[in-house]
Amino acid sequence: MPIWHVTDMLQLYHWEPNANSGKPMLALAEKGVPYESHYLDLLRFDQHQPAYLAINPDGTIPAMVHGDLVLTESTPMMEYVDEAFDGPALKPSSPVERWRMRWWMRFFDAYFGPSLSMIGWSVFVGPATRQRDPEELRAAIDRIPLEARRIAWRKAVFNEFSPAELDESRRRVVWATGILEEHLAKHEWIAGSTYSLGDINGFNLGYALPLSQPAVCNDEKTPRIMEWLRRIFERPATRETWAKGRTPLAARVSMLERQTPAPT
Amino acid sequence: MLELYHWEPNALFLKPLVALEEKGAKFVSRWFDALSFEQHEAGFPASVEARLTLEREGPLLVTDGEVISSTFFMLEYIAEAVPGPALVPEGAYDRYRARAWGQFLGLSLGSSTIALGCARYLAPDLARRDPAALRAQLDRIQPVERRAAWLAVIERGQDEASLRQRLSLPVGRLEGALAKGPWLAGPAYSIADIDAYALVDPLRDLAPEVVSRATTPRLIDWLARIAERPAVRAARQRSRSGRPEQAYVPGVEAARWG
Repeated sequence: MPIWHVTDMLQLYHWEPNANSGKPMLALAEKGVPYESHYLDLLRFDQHQPAYLAINPDGTIPAMVHGDLVLTESTPMMEYVDEAFDGPALKPSSPVERWRMRWWMRFFDAYFGPSLSMIGWSVFVGPATRQRDPEELRAAIDRIPLEARRIAWRKAVFNEFSPAELDESRRRVVWATGILEEHLAKHEWIAGSTYSLGDINGFNLGYALPLSQPAVCNDEKTPRIMEWLRRIFERPATRETWAKGRTPLAARVSMLERQTPAPT
Repeated sequence: MLELYHWEPNALFLKPLVALEEKGAKFVSRWFDALSFEQHEAGFPASVEARLTLEREGPLLVTDGEVISSTFFMLEYIAEAVPGPALVPEGAYDRYRARAWGQFLGLSLGSSTIALGCARYLAPDLARRDPAALRAQLDRIQPVERRAAWLAVIERGQDEASLRQRLSLPVGRLEGALAKGPWLAGPAYSIADIDAYALVDPLRDLAPEVVSRATTPRLIDWLARIAERPAVRAARQRSRSGRPEQAYVPGVEAARWG
């Protein structure tokens, strides 16, 4: 574990540029805000160690420390980043578009995301942790502060997802992907006419969809999602952020590299 | 023009009524009977977001052709777009806190408070109806999760003991926050208080072992301070049944992981 110290610089505690950790990372990069990065290995349970629990007693990542202020909810954290720092606006100026941005972020966070991550945890997080001593794992899980997170980890690590749960998650992912494709047929970006936190949120959820769900998300079935993901990947802030990844998880983003020049 | 489609002033439906009253806004009240499934009939305001809202059954705010759904974000919309007193906190960090409360309580109490209300008041009502006619009404509801939310009430699919157990984390955090200040997100009353009030006040009735003078004195005082606001009284007066505290329809589904 690194030794953490207090400086004036913004502190961000995060894992890979992926899902919740990637949300403030990409928002900060878009704003051009420098921060001191503290990488926690989610699969080694760094986020449940006492040093980190002193910052976020819930033991969830990411967490952001700005002076005396601590922020631990990734989506409201992005709105804070947009409001507290100079740089390009990441929220639309129209109240209706801001509402639409928030509605979709909730859809990503509470519907699409959990279904996708249940599948991801069953095929990736579970197998990646199961090579370790089960007793050590059990003890590590028992130390997780939030009951809901203990249940999630137990299910992932010991492969306790029921076939019915996984089937329902797969059904939701297919369905939500279709809903997102329809949305992007009507709107250039998630909120409407401007790139916003909604796109940052959606990219973190969906950048690997074409790899993890190739039959559902591809150039034939979901051309608008593919184009939207590629447009976001081409932004300098996105490239800079995903370059901070240390594992094959974040490296999956490279499949968004265009094989042919961008449409004009 | 603002048009609010709402049912009885309780739980999710109470929130925008209070916010619009706080703003002193002119709006057209479109009261509908959520128990007769008017909200699923043709002609009711529709949009992808309204149909798919994770709150399942709730109010809709129609403004300039847009259909605003999802109550915490509706509160933010009202606070930002409607002239009148500011209902969002002044500083960026207090606004973060308001949004973090909105998210946390929306997904926790938005599920458990409403599920307890449905178990007590909606389930007996549905049990008295003709099963075939009811099933035909439910079969028309889309998406499937929204129909499933009604079926879960009919089949009493949610274990009440575990619902009650799930109250302790959010209620404990609220009581703790009120030890540090009179309101949830900074020095002033805000949409965080309106949002939480609508989800916590029903617990005095539904879960008195969790929310009471003995267990949560600060929460009880905070509820009383909000209840006496003229905007809250005005919102409550829009009840047509005279028993708004018994008005529940399915809300947010419980987290699927735990």
